Amino acid sequence: MKNVHDEAMTRLDSAVSEVFETMLERSCDPLDGEVDTVEGRIVARIQFTGTVDGECLLYASQATASVTAEALLGTPSEPHDPMVDDAIGELCNMIAGGWKSKLASPDSNCTISTPAVTREGLEGYRTRFGTKFSRNYSFQGNVFGVVLAF
Amino acid sequence: MAVWVQSLGEGRLRALIVDDSAVMRKVIERALRQAGLELSEVLEASNGEEGLQVLRDNQGGSAPLALILSDINMPVMDGLQFLEARRQENLAQGVPVVMITTEGNETFVLRAIAAGAQGYICKPFTAEQVKVRVLPLLRTAA
Repeated sequence: MKNVHDEAMTRLDSAVSEVFETMLERSCDPLDGEVDTVEGRIVARIQFTGTVDGECLLYASQATASVTAEALLGTPSEPHDPMVDDAIGELCNMIAGGWKSKLASPDSNCTISTPAVTREGLEGYRTRFGTKFSRNYSFQGNVFGVVLAF
Repeated sequence: MAVWVQSLGEGRLRALIVDDSAVMRKVIERALRQAGLELSEVLEASNGEEGLQVLRDNQGGSAPLALILSDINMPVMDGLQFLEARRQENLAQGVPVVMITTEGNETFVLRAIAAGAQGYICKPFTAEQVKVRVLPLLRTAA
């Protein structure tokens, strides 16, 4: 029987893979390693409220965020293009929504917030939720991280 | 597919996309074009309130809207409130509405349908899913 950690990670891996394969037409694989191995300048955050209380953070370097935005839009992006932040926010939104839908029963009452995106990195990040998981992912050599706390 | 869409009569269609993400509005527009829709104009709104204003501004025009696509989770006014307000103001009542959202929960689907949505697509989505859910609605509305 899988424990809570394994269940959460399996669902997260599935949600990430589904978003990348469907929206970016790229495969995306989980990496072994600690969350600190990823430079996290751009951070998107989604909050869960209701049956599940918690948050999902996606963080990436500027370079990875730009590549991600280009893959999603199909057009080149500028380094400080607001569409890059927007793309990272939407990616977090879809991953969080996918994870929630795989976790919650059909009749559960859980809403997710709109994404909030900052360029302050993850330094000093603390969560008020009791359980926290983090995972790194790579697509075509571009690494980003996801944190789930609930 | 483009030939078939022209058989609707207008040939080219005007659509409204309501989503707080500019990236997602572009992605949805691209999916509509990949589905074979020849869009003459895509109107955009970043929340339900802006969407309502677009509908008000387009009342009685010579080129009516053919399709509305809306997210649910948005600031200011969400997609469900947008649909309710659209109904109360009697705006674009014959225009098919498809929700495109990360909210896959059945409760949201039922609420959207009750508020007037004819279609529901969960993000992430493929162009094929957009095609399958949107084109029959246009065929019915033609």
